[in-house]
Amino acid sequence: MADSTFDAIVVGSGISGGWAAKELCEKGLKVLLLERGGPYEHIKDYKTASKNLWEHEHRGNTTNEQKKKYPVIHRSWAASEVIMDAWANEADSPYTEIKPFIWWRSYRFGGRSVLWGRQSYRWSQMDFEANEKDGTAIPWPVNYNEIAPWYDHVEKFAGISGSIENIPHLPDGQFMPAMDLNLVEKDVAAKLKKQYNGQRHLIIGRVANITAPHDDRPGCQYRNRCWEGCPFGGYFSTQSSTYPAALKTGNLTVRPYAIVTEVLYDKEKKKATGVEILDSLDNKTYRYHSKIVFLCASTLNSAWILMRSATNIWPGGLGSSSGELGHNVMDHHYNLGASGEAEGFDDKYVYGRRPNGFYIPRFVNIGNDKRDYLRGFGYQGGASRSGWRRDVAELNIGIDLKDALSEPGNWRIGTSGFGEILPYHENKISLDKNRNDKWGLPVLAMDAALKENEFKMRKDIVTEMVAMLEAGGIKKITSWDNGHAMGHGIHEMGTARMGKDPKTSVLNKWNQVWDAPNVFVTDGAFMTSSACQNPSLTYMAFTARAANYAVEELKKQNL
Amino acid sequence: MDRRELLKIIAVLTGSAVIGSDLFLSGCTSGVKNDTGFTAANISLLDEIGETIIPAGKTPGAKAAQVGNFMKVMVTDCYTQEQQDAFVKGISSLEEAGKKMNSKSFMDCTPQQRHDLLVSLEKEAKEFNKTVEEKDKPQKEAFKQKERPYDFVASPRHYYTMMKQLTLLGFFTSKTGMTETLRHNAVPGKYDGAFPYVKGDKAWAE
Repeated sequence: MADSTFDAIVVGSGISGGWAAKELCEKGLKVLLLERGGPYEHIKDYKTASKNLWEHEHRGNTTNEQKKKYPVIHRSWAASEVIMDAWANEADSPYTEIKPFIWWRSYRFGGRSVLWGRQSYRWSQMDFEANEKDGTAIPWPVNYNEIAPWYDHVEKFAGISGSIENIPHLPDGQFMPAMDLNLVEKDVAAKLKKQYNGQRHLIIGRVANITAPHDDRPGCQYRNRCWEGCPFGGYFSTQSSTYPAALKTGNLTVRPYAIVTEVLYDKEKKKATGVEILDSLDNKTYRYHSKIVFLCASTLNSAWILMRSATNIWPGGLGSSSGELGHNVMDHHYNLGASGEAEGFDDKYVYGRRPNGFYIPRFVNIGNDKRDYLRGFGYQGGASRSGWRRDVAELNIGIDLKDALSEPGNWRIGTSGFGEILPYHENKISLDKNRNDKWGLPVLAMDAALKENEFKMRKDIVTEMVAMLEAGGIKKITSWDNGHAMGHGIHEMGTARMGKDPKTSVLNKWNQVWDAPNVFVTDGAFMTSSACQNPSLTYMAFTARAANYAVEELKKQNL
Repeated sequence: MDRRELLKIIAVLTGSAVIGSDLFLSGCTSGVKNDTGFTAANISLLDEIGETIIPAGKTPGAKAAQVGNFMKVMVTDCYTQEQQDAFVKGISSLEEAGKKMNSKSFMDCTPQQRHDLLVSLEKEAKEFNKTVEEKDKPQKEAFKQKERPYDFVASPRHYYTMMKQLTLLGFFTSKTGMTETLRHNAVPGKYDGAFPYVKGDKAWAE
């Protein structure tokens, strides 16, 4: 690359990085977008998206070879023959688990924006003021009204389908037409409304799948194969949405195979001057310069980059002067819930594979409701008729079994809770100086776990769900709690939190590093608390807001 | 609770197609045998076992879906060493059980004799699996307590259970299974959550 100087450098091409690149490009900045993995082109590289299941040799199951290569991914449900290559090679990029930690990484263009669950919920004022009200950690430096216009902005562009519900603590947004609840879900929703006096809601999930054509994207075809990449641009990803918009401006340069190893910092000017990268293919280092740097490398990796930057001034790295860099690691705890059977709907089935389920927003610790723990949880779930995998105990083998399994089984409904994890200073990541990755770079050591508040909440999540299924007329209810290792929620947050005071936070309210105002961190690292809603939409909103602010400040020559 | 159902529910939540059954999530052990030594005769036998479980009728059965070869591929590529050993040993155990019951090899049995043998194995397997699950329980619980439930590796189930599960998986994810016994629709284009259903209508393949 001949020209190594740009207006802005964006590190990471996932949900946050894609947004940063788009917004900055559209405002006229020359942007260099750095991605540590290789290219992954929209449609062309979705190699399996039009294949049938029978064309996969192991019908979606992973092999022993893959189990060896991706041991962490195999701890849970995301190991599939169909998309295994999407995950980061764990032998090349290991990490240390002081306490169990599941780190889901996708090191290729678009990052996890291709794989994500797409559930998109706004935070409310209740969430932004929670820390201040109950005296946990530090207060957020922003309120809902400051963020609301940016939620509007990102929802309109990304395309979020959902229903208007007028629930104060789950604000409505700029929605595309909602998907439908199926008849069993509607029935349970009506029963819950009655039983809980309109205080509990079962609504259709708000999801970044478009239910009508949107820009150049034809829309969701109800195949429910999103994570293979969608040839119809049916859901928001860097590839389908932000990247083409950024590209259209003519201001974007993408540099793959670029592992950013540090932010270059000028001690005199107290500003960053660019970044240094290690090319993952030729193992050489390169330097790129810019007026501003956006770190969107993912919550843990952005902290990793900061920890390695400006260490001649701060041994703990850029942003460590507060003592909070790498601390306050959060996630959403799940892996627990309940399910059962719905009777009386045998004359109905579904058509199509809805890539979405229902959502039950938080109802605990709101108004007069008080629990013996702080904060709360929501549920996500779905109802459907079971398929051939069901157990037909009375039919062992033979034509009767085949005939029975060729028809749909009973209607079942199941849900999983998603709970808030409080920000604990002790929950942290750090550099493991004794262990290197394939490129000789120190790896991260994870030291974070749930505590009493989360354990109490988990009991309540199961109890309340069983009670609600009973109220919903569901039979044969069973519940489970399979435990939660940090990271399992794929919602890691909080390693460079924002705040009002540089002594207790890494970033200010505009996502600027206090110690280097031209460095912005806009992925999950900035989160000061975790609420219980899926966080990606909030990253999008804060990223767009920070990009807008950065450009204004550049114009005022403040950066 | 049936964990496979739960996985499916999670798949709905995340919009991802989780296809694997719990059988294959159970573990990654070291020392994987590359050649499980399946012979052509083994594969024919497994085809016939599969056909006894899912026979041809109005639509083709397990043999047409080549479940014998599918079992070979899955056991060789995806099973743990312990599971592989149990499966391979199971082929001879099944033959022995068949000889005891019908005084001849499975391949020489009538469809009814094959059926009766597998029904008896079904009962034996149920008891066996119950014992294995009981035996595994403390270890499973211990890993859960350590917040590492994923490190638990289940002991192999009865060989017949493996054969049956692979038959069902191999058949219902095959082209014939998905398009002839079930209803396949690659691009539905819309969602209807109250779609009329009459008893006898086929289930969707995915």
